[in-house]
Amino acid sequence: MTIKKTNKAAMIVLILGLSTIILPLYMTIVIAFKQPSEMTNSIGGILSLPKSFSLSNFREAMEVTDFWRSLSNSIIITVATVVLCIAIHSLMGYALGRNKAHSKFYGFVYLFIVSGMFVPFAILMMPLAKQTAELGLANWFGVILLYVVFYMPMNVLLYSGYLVNIPMALEEAAKVDGASTWRTYWKIIFPIMKPMHATVAVLTALAVWNDVMTPLVIMAGSGQNTLPLAQLNFQSQFGTNYNLAFASYLLSLIPILIFYIVCQKQILNGVVNGAVK
Amino acid sequence: MITIPILALFICFNTIPLIRGVIYSFTNFKGFGKYDWVGFRNYIDLFSDARVGKSYWFTFKLAIVTTVVVNILSLLLALALNSSIKAKSFFRGAYFLPNILGALVVGYIFNYFFTYILPALADMIGIDALRSSILSNPDAAWIGVMIVCAWQAIAMNTIIYISGLQTVPEDVYEAGGLDGATGWKQFKYLTFPLIIPFFSINMVLCVKNFLMVFDQIMALTKGGPAQSTESISYLIYNNGMSGGQFGFQSANAVVFFIVIVAVSVAQMKFSGKKEEQL
Amino acid sequence: MLRRKVKYLGAAICSVAAMTVVGGCGNSADSGKTEIEIVQYKPEAANYFSVVEEEFNATHDDIHLTISSPNDAMTILKTRFIREDYPDIIGIGGDINYSYFVDAEILEDISDYEGLKNINQGYLDIDEALKFVPVEGTYAVPYVANAAGILYNRDMFAEHGWEIPTTWDELLTLCDTIQGEGILPFYFGFKDTWTCLAPWNAMAVDLAPADASKQVNRGETTFAKEYREVSEKYLELLPYGPDDPFAYGYNDACTAFARGESAMYPIGSYAAPQILSVNPDLNLDSFVMPANDAADGNTLNSGIDLQFCVMAGCKNKEAVYEVLDFLYEDENIQKYIDAQTAIPCKEGNFELPSILDGMTEYIASGNMTDYQDHYYPSEMAVDAQIQTFLLNKDVDAFLQKFDTDWLRYNRDIIRLVQDYAKEHGDAN
Repeated sequence: MTIKKTNKAAMIVLILGLSTIILPLYMTIVIAFKQPSEMTNSIGGILSLPKSFSLSNFREAMEVTDFWRSLSNSIIITVATVVLCIAIHSLMGYALGRNKAHSKFYGFVYLFIVSGMFVPFAILMMPLAKQTAELGLANWFGVILLYVVFYMPMNVLLYSGYLVNIPMALEEAAKVDGASTWRTYWKIIFPIMKPMHATVAVLTALAVWNDVMTPLVIMAGSGQNTLPLAQLNFQSQFGTNYNLAFASYLLSLIPILIFYIVCQKQILNGVVNGAVK
Repeated sequence: MITIPILALFICFNTIPLIRGVIYSFTNFKGFGKYDWVGFRNYIDLFSDARVGKSYWFTFKLAIVTTVVVNILSLLLALALNSSIKAKSFFRGAYFLPNILGALVVGYIFNYFFTYILPALADMIGIDALRSSILSNPDAAWIGVMIVCAWQAIAMNTIIYISGLQTVPEDVYEAGGLDGATGWKQFKYLTFPLIIPFFSINMVLCVKNFLMVFDQIMALTKGGPAQSTESISYLIYNNGMSGGQFGFQSANAVVFFIVIVAVSVAQMKFSGKKEEQL
Repeated sequence: MLRRKVKYLGAAICSVAAMTVVGGCGNSADSGKTEIEIVQYKPEAANYFSVVEEEFNATHDDIHLTISSPNDAMTILKTRFIREDYPDIIGIGGDINYSYFVDAEILEDISDYEGLKNINQGYLDIDEALKFVPVEGTYAVPYVANAAGILYNRDMFAEHGWEIPTTWDELLTLCDTIQGEGILPFYFGFKDTWTCLAPWNAMAVDLAPADASKQVNRGETTFAKEYREVSEKYLELLPYGPDDPFAYGYNDACTAFARGESAMYPIGSYAAPQILSVNPDLNLDSFVMPANDAADGNTLNSGIDLQFCVMAGCKNKEAVYEVLDFLYEDENIQKYIDAQTAIPCKEGNFELPSILDGMTEYIASGNMTDYQDHYYPSEMAVDAQIQTFLLNKDVDAFLQKFDTDWLRYNRDIIRLVQDYAKEHGDAN
C-alpha cells in the first residue's frame, strides 16, 4: 500500500460543495422547530433561529403520523424488499450477465427485463390496482412483491455491469475443482459482489423508503400506513403545515441515514475483502 | 433454470399490467365507469397535441443537460471522496443527504431559494437578469428544475461511481505511477477505462431518470409557469389519474415507453462498442 | 410462446396466492354490527371527521362508522373503484368529478332520503345543473359550500377609512387610493396555478352567464364571446398586485397577506384557516368581487365544497341514511363551519363565521352563482391557461385557444349532450 496523504485539492472541492447541502439542511432544521406564526417571507426571517428549541413539533408530528406504527411498517417493507432484492436480483444478474453474450434466449430476457425500467408507472397503476386486488394482494405483502419487480431491471443492470470486472478464471477454477454452478455462485461470486450488494441495498432502500405512489395505490383503504403516506397528511391544497411536516421529515430521515452509513462501510471494505487477483 | 420463476414474477407484475394498459389506450376510459372503444383516435390526437409536443421538447432538453451536468459533477465528487481525505464518512454521509430529503422539503426550500434568496443576492451583486425568480419566467424555469434534479441525483450517481472505483485494483496505480502517470493522465488512461461499465450504467440511469422526471416537477413548479415545465410523466400522471384522460394518457405512455427504450438501447449499443474498443 | 407465458403466470399466481393470507375484507363484521365506511376528500377537515366518527360510534350500537380523510382522495377513490372496492359513502366536491360519477352510473339515487327536504334548494339546483344531461334522480346531499371574492384586512380598512366597493369602477378607484398611500392593494400567488382561478371565477359569475359552459356544449355560443370582458378586466387587476406575482405560491401569498403586506387578497373563504395560522390576530373580512359595472349585477361566487354521495349498489341504505342524519345534525354542521369557515347547505339558524360578514347579505338572499371552473375538465388545465394568459396578456390568443381546447377535451360530453338533444327534441 502507498502511504496515504491528505489530498488538499479534494478537500477544498468537498468543503465548497458542502455549502450547497448545509444551507438547505439548516433551513429544514430551523423550520422544524418554529411555530407557524414565526413564518415570514423575508430572508432574515427564514434564516433566524426559532424562538425556542422545544420538541413540541416533533411530538405532534409523531402523534399525527402514528409514528411508531408507520415507522415499523416502513421498516418491514424496506428490509424485506432489500433482502429479497439482493438475493433474487444478484442471482438473476449473474445468470443473465454470464450468459447473455452467448445465448440468444438469455440475451433476450436480459433486454426484456432491463427495458421494464422504462415503463411509466402511471400506465401500470390502474391495472396493478385491479390485479393485486384480484389476487388478494392489496396489502403490504403485495407492495413488497411489486417492489421486487419494479427494481429488478435496475438492479439486474447493476449486477451484470459489475460482473464484467470479475474475471471468469475464478469460476473456471471452481468448476475444475468439481463445484456445481449453484455452489460456485454462493461460495465465490456472491461474496465478491459485496460492494455491489451494498450499492443495491442503498439505492433500493432509499427508493422504497421514500416511495408514496405504490403504497398509496395498493394499500389505500387497508388502514395501514407507511411513513411517507402518513406524511401526506401535512399537505393539502388549501394549507400546509410546513413546521410539522419538516419535523416529521427530519425524523424519518434518521433511520435511512444510519442505514446508508453502515452500507457505505461495506462499499469501502469491498476492495479489501474482494481479493480480485 | 432459476431464472424462470423470477421471470414469471416479472411478467406477472410488469408485462401483464403493461399489456392491460396498452388495451386501455384504445378506449376513452376515464379510470372508472363505462368506456367505449375509440380505435386509434388517442394515437392520432397524440401527434397533433401541441401540449404533448411541448412536454417532449422540455423533457428531452432537461434530460440531456442534466445528464451531462450530473455525470461530470458526480464523477469529480466520487474521485474526491475516494481519494485520501479527512473525515471521509462524514463527507460521504453529507453528500448523500440531498437524496433522502422528501419532495416537500426540497420543493419548499428551493422555491424559497429561487423566489427570495437568489433575487436578493442578485440585487446585492447587481445582476439584473436574476432579479426576478427564475421559476416565474417561462423561458428560464427549466434551469431551476435542472438545478434541483442535479442536486438530488448527484448522490446516487456518486455512489455508483464510488463502487466502480473500488473495482480498480491499487496496483494499477502503482504501476501507472512508475510510468509517470499522474493527475489527469492517470484518470484518462488508467481510471476511466476501468470504470467504463459504471459510466455507461450511470448514463443510462440518468437519461432514464430524467426522461421520467416527476417528483421534482410536482414539488417545484407543478408544470408552470405557462405550462413550460410539464414533463411527459407529469402529463401522464396528472391528466391520466387526476384528470379524466386515462385512455389518452395510456396511449401517451405507450409511445413514451417505446421512445425511451429506443433511446436507451441506442445508448447501450453505443457504450458497448466503446467498452469493446478499450 | 404465449401459451408458455400463460402457464408460468398461472404458476406464479398459484404460488403467490398460497403465500398470502387474506386480503379482502367484507361488510360482515364479527360483532354483527353494520359497517359503514365514508371516504371524504378534504384532508384539512380530518380532525372534525374523526370527532364525528367517535361520537357516532359512541351513540350507536348497531352501526360501526369509519371515516377516512386521505390526502389525494381522488386518486385513492379512483383506484378503489377500479378494484370494485367501493366505500358506502363518499364526500366529494360539487365539481366535474361529480358529473363524471353521475354519468358513469356509479352513484345511488337517493331521492327518497328525508334529509333532502332541509337542504337549501339553491344547492340542489347546482347539483342538478352539474349533470351533463338531465338524469332522473338525486345523487348527492350538499353539506357545505364555500365562497370566493376578496378577503381584506378589516383593521387596515378602518384605519384609512376605505369603503367597500360595489362596482368595478369603485374597486379600481379604491385600488388607486390604496396604492397612493404606499400600500400594496392585492397579493397574488399565481405560481400555484389554481389560485389564478379564484379571481377568474369570482369575476366570471358577475360577467358571464352561469351556464356558459353548457351553452357552448350545445353549440349556442363561444367562450370568445362570453369570457372577453372577464379576461380584459382580469388584466386590469394585475398592476395592483406584487411586481412578479408568478414567483409567489399560495402559501407565500397567504403569509404575506396575513403579515399585512397587502390590503386585500382575492381568494376564497377556504384560505382563512391558512392565513390565520400565520397571524391569528388578523381581523379578517371579505366582500363580493364587484366585477360588474352595476352594483346589482354582481353575485356571490359560491359552490358546493363538500357533499355526500352514496355508492351504487349499497346494501345498507337504512344504516347509511342514519349516518347521514347524524352528519346533518345542526350541531355538527355548526362545528364544521366554525372549523373550516364554510357556509352550510342546510337551512336553519346557523352562525356564520365572522370572516363572511361582508357576504352574508348575498347568502341570505340566495344571490349566489356556482364556480365556472366546476364545469371545466381538470385535464384541460384552464388554470395553467389563465396563468399563461396573465403572463403574455394576449386576450385573443387565450380565448381562441380556450375555444379550440374546449371542443377537444369535451368532445365525448358534447356528443352526449347532442345525442340527448336529438332524442328529446329541444324540450330542454
